[in-house]
Amino acid sequence: MLDGIFTGLGTALMPFNIMMVVVGCFAGTFIGMLPGLGPISAVALMIPITYGLDPASGIILMAGVYYGAVFGGSTSSILINAPGCASTVVTSFDGYPLAQKGQAGKALALAAYCSFTGGTVGAIILLFAAPALAKVSLSFQSGDYFALMVLGLTAVAAFSGKGQVIKAMIMTVFGLMISTVGIDTMTGAPRFTFGSVDLLDGVSFLLLAMATFALTEVVMSIMKRQHLEEDPEIDMAALGSMKLNKEEVKEVAPTVARSSVFGFIIGVLPGAGATIASFLAYGMERNFASAKEKLKFGRGALRGLAAPETANNAASTGSFVPLLTLGIPGSGTTAIMLGALIAAGVQPGPRLFIDNPDVFWSVIISMYFGNLVLLILNLPLIPYISRLLAIPRPILIPLILFFSVTGVYLVSFNTFDIQMMVLITVIALFLKLLEFPMAPMLLGYILGGIMEQNLSRSLVLSDGSLDFIWERPLTLTIISIAVILLFMPLISKLFAAKASKGMEAAVNKGDGG
Amino acid sequence: MIITKDHIGGLVFLCLSAAYGYYTGDISMLPGDEYEPFNAQTLPSILAYLGGILSLALILTASRDAGDRLSLTGYDFPIVIKLLVLVVFFGIALEWLGFLLSTVLFLIGGYWLLGERRWKTLFIASVPFAVFIWFSLSQLLDIYLAPGRLFTILFGG
Repeated sequence: MLDGIFTGLGTALMPFNIMMVVVGCFAGTFIGMLPGLGPISAVALMIPITYGLDPASGIILMAGVYYGAVFGGSTSSILINAPGCASTVVTSFDGYPLAQKGQAGKALALAAYCSFTGGTVGAIILLFAAPALAKVSLSFQSGDYFALMVLGLTAVAAFSGKGQVIKAMIMTVFGLMISTVGIDTMTGAPRFTFGSVDLLDGVSFLLLAMATFALTEVVMSIMKRQHLEEDPEIDMAALGSMKLNKEEVKEVAPTVARSSVFGFIIGVLPGAGATIASFLAYGMERNFASAKEKLKFGRGALRGLAAPETANNAASTGSFVPLLTLGIPGSGTTAIMLGALIAAGVQPGPRLFIDNPDVFWSVIISMYFGNLVLLILNLPLIPYISRLLAIPRPILIPLILFFSVTGVYLVSFNTFDIQMMVLITVIALFLKLLEFPMAPMLLGYILGGIMEQNLSRSLVLSDGSLDFIWERPLTLTIISIAVILLFMPLISKLFAAKASKGMEAAVNKGDGG
Repeated sequence: MIITKDHIGGLVFLCLSAAYGYYTGDISMLPGDEYEPFNAQTLPSILAYLGGILSLALILTASRDAGDRLSLTGYDFPIVIKLLVLVVFFGIALEWLGFLLSTVLFLIGGYWLLGERRWKTLFIASVPFAVFIWFSLSQLLDIYLAPGRLFTILFGG
């Protein structure tokens, strides 16, 4: 393991890779600050750049952008009450009231310290957890992999929120359907190409990610007339002090410790990710607080800001565990990274630890650097980065559109891809109006090919029988977890209905008596 | 009966799954492949059935709340259509006018559509930017950017 750590250190400390972390953190912070554009769009915008880099540098850049975007989202949550992404919505609950009290500087500093601590604790746990899990997963067979893919896909659907489960599952199936377009890698038969030569290679991952996230998010903001809204004025002079006193540090220290570990664990669960971690950590912290302290939550409580900020960064780090060790993304953002790695010829999974130790370890090490860059460079520069928000929207939006479109064009040099991108954007907009989530679709698309290969291998090995599902205890366990996750929303609904019925009966009885 | 977003979404995906299932039958297979435990049609067939079942489940469990109806008011569709058409034209222009000119025209068009009318701003925010990107790509990164068919026709290739 020490060998690996030193290899990772060597790669991560290369001047070019350090530059990638710094550039990534800055670019991510800026994009994350723009309302509507979150880490997924920020990472998607970076894919074309990573195509020209070696895989380690590429994923280091994307990891930097990921962190930067989460931090940028927190900044706009605190300063203008406009969360850049879902995982920083909770940050605004107590961050914005603090800014209104003239303590924006303190809130920003606390957010940065908490993000740093959460990310660092996460990176340290990852340092030990990832290789251990990778070693265990080396014994995995094709059937186990198939089961893992099923678990990853069902987990995303199960964690997608109330009323969204079936929609998320449909989108996953839709993504799997898209992954079948093009030449079948096993038999060489063209599928769903309708005679078009341009479709023989299938729908490109880059095109799909850019169209469904970067382009759709921008077009959606125009459709909602957000570009006509007055740009928020941020009074940098009124930021206030960025220092925390001893009592305040003492107050938030236990919160930060709790939320780091908690956030990491939630992040490791496939499909959960930073948003759920931040909401749960906030709820947990509120429950821990005394009745008097509870009243402060939502009115500028330091603990209320520290908990989600620590948890979302620890979860961002945690979501790399399933990505690096099992090849299953823990969130939409890591799904995009998985796609970019596959496109670069690196297959994340148990073999990554052995085949590409430089990628594996340098990502873990550079995560720590990413957190350091955010703390040392980004925090003092926030007043200046925020000024970029002053670029008028009518100028900024066509530029983002340009980068999205040319990012795809410069990889394939095929203008058909641009027309395809517009078509996919129109479909994605329609689906967004119907409130269908996009991340499960992308996950289905990315995992589709690998899942089909493993299913085929397992079925051929078991001579067409489905016995492989229950023959090995490991496969059976993973599939059972997937089934439980799948029916969890239904079971919890039934329990809730039963409980409310019981309550009603009790009330009625009370009325009668 | 109230038709909500869930009903529409479910119906759309039901039709999609049916069409997907129909075209699954068109996938050509090698002789004898149909007797193999796994062939090119296996996963698509599973997905078509799964898609159909889930779509029906969505329709059956759909919310019947009037608040969940699809509302298209409050959205600026004309501007979105214009911008997407501009992107399509950008794709065509890239082939005919080359990277530099089409980028300038795309950016000016985009700024104009979003309400920027000052010629000075339109010019400053597009020409230097396009030249910078073109220079970085073609001269610094050595990426070949085709000059555009129109110029090849006019001045020879």
